[in-house]
Amino acid sequence: MSKLGVFDISVRYGKVPAISDLTFHLEEGERVFISGPNGAGKSSFLNAICGKVPTSHGRIEMDGDLLTGRSPEAIARLGLSMVPEGREIFGSLTVEENLRVGTGIRQDAQAIETDIEEIFAAFPILGERRRAAAGALSGGQQQMLAIGRALMTNPKLMMVDEPSLGLAPKIVDQVYDTLAALQEERGLTLLIVEQSSLRAARVGGRMVLMRGGRIVGEGNAADMADRDALAQAYFGNSHPEPEAVA
Amino acid sequence: MSSQHAQHRLAAYSTPLILSAILLAFVAFVVILGDKALARTAAETLVRVTLVVGLWIFVGNSGVISFGHAGYMAIGAYCSAWLTLKPQSKALFLPDLPPWLMDAQWPVLPAAIASGLLAALVALLSGAAILRLSGIAASIATFAFLAIVNTVYSNWEGVTGATSSVVGLTRYVDHWVALAWAVAAIVAANLYANSASGLALRATREDEVAAKASGIDMYRHRLWSLVISAFFTGISGALLGHSIGVLNPDSFYLGITFISLAMLVVGGIGSLSGAVIGVLLLSLLIELLVRAERGITIGATQFALPSGSQEILIGVAMIFVLILRPAGLTGGREFKLRLTLPRIPLSQEPTSTN
Amino acid sequence: MTNFAQLFFDAASLGGLYAMAALGIALIFGVMNLVNFAHGEYIAFCVFALIVPSTDAVAVMLLGRAPALILVPLILALGAAIAIASEHAVFRHLRRADPVAMMISSFALGFVIRNALLAAYGGRPKAISLWPDLNTPVRIAGAEVPLLQLIVILTTLLVVAGLAALLKKTRLGLEMRAAAENFTMARLLGVKANVVITGAFALSGALAAAVALIMATQTGVADVRMGGQVMLVAFIATVIGGLGSLPGAVAAGFLIGAASVLLQAFLPLDARPFRDAFLYTLVIVCLLVRPQGLFVAASAKPRV
Repeated sequence: MSKLGVFDISVRYGKVPAISDLTFHLEEGERVFISGPNGAGKSSFLNAICGKVPTSHGRIEMDGDLLTGRSPEAIARLGLSMVPEGREIFGSLTVEENLRVGTGIRQDAQAIETDIEEIFAAFPILGERRRAAAGALSGGQQQMLAIGRALMTNPKLMMVDEPSLGLAPKIVDQVYDTLAALQEERGLTLLIVEQSSLRAARVGGRMVLMRGGRIVGEGNAADMADRDALAQAYFGNSHPEPEAVA
Repeated sequence: MSSQHAQHRLAAYSTPLILSAILLAFVAFVVILGDKALARTAAETLVRVTLVVGLWIFVGNSGVISFGHAGYMAIGAYCSAWLTLKPQSKALFLPDLPPWLMDAQWPVLPAAIASGLLAALVALLSGAAILRLSGIAASIATFAFLAIVNTVYSNWEGVTGATSSVVGLTRYVDHWVALAWAVAAIVAANLYANSASGLALRATREDEVAAKASGIDMYRHRLWSLVISAFFTGISGALLGHSIGVLNPDSFYLGITFISLAMLVVGGIGSLSGAVIGVLLLSLLIELLVRAERGITIGATQFALPSGSQEILIGVAMIFVLILRPAGLTGGREFKLRLTLPRIPLSQEPTSTN
Repeated sequence: MTNFAQLFFDAASLGGLYAMAALGIALIFGVMNLVNFAHGEYIAFCVFALIVPSTDAVAVMLLGRAPALILVPLILALGAAIAIASEHAVFRHLRRADPVAMMISSFALGFVIRNALLAAYGGRPKAISLWPDLNTPVRIAGAEVPLLQLIVILTTLLVVAGLAALLKKTRLGLEMRAAAENFTMARLLGVKANVVITGAFALSGALAAAVALIMATQTGVADVRMGGQVMLVAFIATVIGGLGSLPGAVAAGFLIGAASVLLQAFLPLDARPFRDAFLYTLVIVCLLVRPQGLFVAASAKPRV
């Protein structure tokens, strides 16, 4: 049984289809990148898994539990955590309060405190500003906080939507290094939306290419990056035709 | 394409025809029954149609909820009283009126039109300030406007009679007069909604930011729709006064604000048909419940609802409609005639399904 | 000097009342974007719970006979109960509806409660006597101040401080603040929507009950309409304060109370009956100057 099983789902906004008959599997401990042009349905895909948008068709399972039809909070309680696009941190709450919002689903009071200290150790700047309003943090710091906040629910599966958006390349590398280290340490399964195959290749993992609400290709991130580089060199096109990848 | 467009326009203009036909059928039904009390109820219902259609011209097109329209109603109602009451009774009840107004004794129709114009003028002035706001802030400002009108009219002893009622208005508004004004309001509402200004305004209702970006002057169109809206609302106030014969500032306060908005929302705020249907259905329901409260005799037994249950049941019915159909009974769609065989593309219809 | 002290106490106690009512409205708006017009009827409901249901002109105390130590928690619980019940019966089914439909249905709910009260108690205002001793004046700073005014001011401070502590220090408070800022994100972190919303309604209802107790003591009257007036001022206060901002609601409540007392004191005698017209004109001016709310950072965008 895979960690996450997505069977033939469709998502539509009114009459506009965002995802059509998509099937996808994610294994325990895996790291998968989702790539594709704007409007490919990447965010809708994550939003459907976490219960933010309803599916019109198909089912989604995590560890054999059916997620389809459950509320976002019920899905979070099953061990799925989300770092949404644009971070969506609670700007009026302090840094530490942001981290604590998601701990309501945990019983291990002791472990919560050690986890908070661990996150402050991983992102020292957050520790320094633990009592400051989160809205005052820089973009990169907010991204770290959003990741830390998602970790505080003690998830088994974590989804991260475009962590590199709007961040300087150096910060992006730092964010990815931390994600990889945390995954190692906690045995997390990671599903990440990332436009750039180069960046995905640097961290390593499986890469899935989406287009028009469907999965059109997949492969090893490093291979995909090579092909992308090749395609770019020959055709000036950063997104190769799906046939070439599959 | 252009002939399709013309057909589409034609279909849009069929809406007032259908709505007027419904109202005419309603009046004809009442006349045939020949029941005096029913005729009075019909007249009041049609005055409410004028009111709610007037309200819709602004709220339905702009998407801004107005709590202030009862204020325009009060302005219209009192204006008509000032113009039509006998000078003797004005000298008695409203001693502080200026002399020219004291001596005025206008025929009812020009007085009604003047009432609408005064309300429209006040709308122009108040709207110029209030409509700089949008969303909830604008709604609150319209409420503040209503409270100002109510405070002034409840305390301006020598001009409005304050809280003691103004009596003696000619009760000329029967079901035919009310029908004529209701039809006029419906036609005007339809013409406005299909005008360039109305279409632009409804675009802002769907997406304020995008409409602004495409160069629509939202403020000007909102103000324009408020002025037209206030004209008919003012007239509905005058009609209400001349149908019950008595004026009191509190008849134009929260009660009527609530009931008119409720009718609009229950019918469906997104369409003119919704405004009319909302009035008819809620008025019918109210009438039925009032009668049920008085007692219905079926065979040898008499049933009567306990007193006060009418209002409670109305409220409960409204809540049910809103839960089951949040976009109102019409769901924002208009009644239209399909005039020709080639199907008019659905996507071009100005519908709103939210 | 006497005059100013008097004015200060008048303004602070009236403002305190408005602030508490405004808090009740802002709490619910914050978590579910609902402008709850039934709030005034919660207040009226709690006032009438003090007396025996009957349409007689003379009021007979029911809950009002209980000693304060029992009465106060009982009425607060009753206020919370009716608010929670209305959420279950009505608003829960409208969570996906747009704010206008929700607002109108709260209007309808208020209409239902008001008419139920009218049917049970009759339309005439009734004289009631709840803690009449509290209206005896005490002398402070040269002003004759009814004891109740002091209690109102003190209660407001206690309520505001208590609410702040609750929001700041408790798990529910944290979840409510997070949900008020971004409901979906809070749910993605496992915050239960139903718990937060029920909590907000309970607090809001308890605040309405506190307002009811104060008004009943102060006016000595039970009237179906008494909640409506306060609710409207409170509603305006929440908008002026910045919708969804709790400190803003409190500040604007006090501000409107103060403005109202000052206008009453300093308007020329002829203009005094028109006080509310001036007050509401000020409201429109406030909105025009700061549509996003007086007490919200100017950069913040309006929430609706």
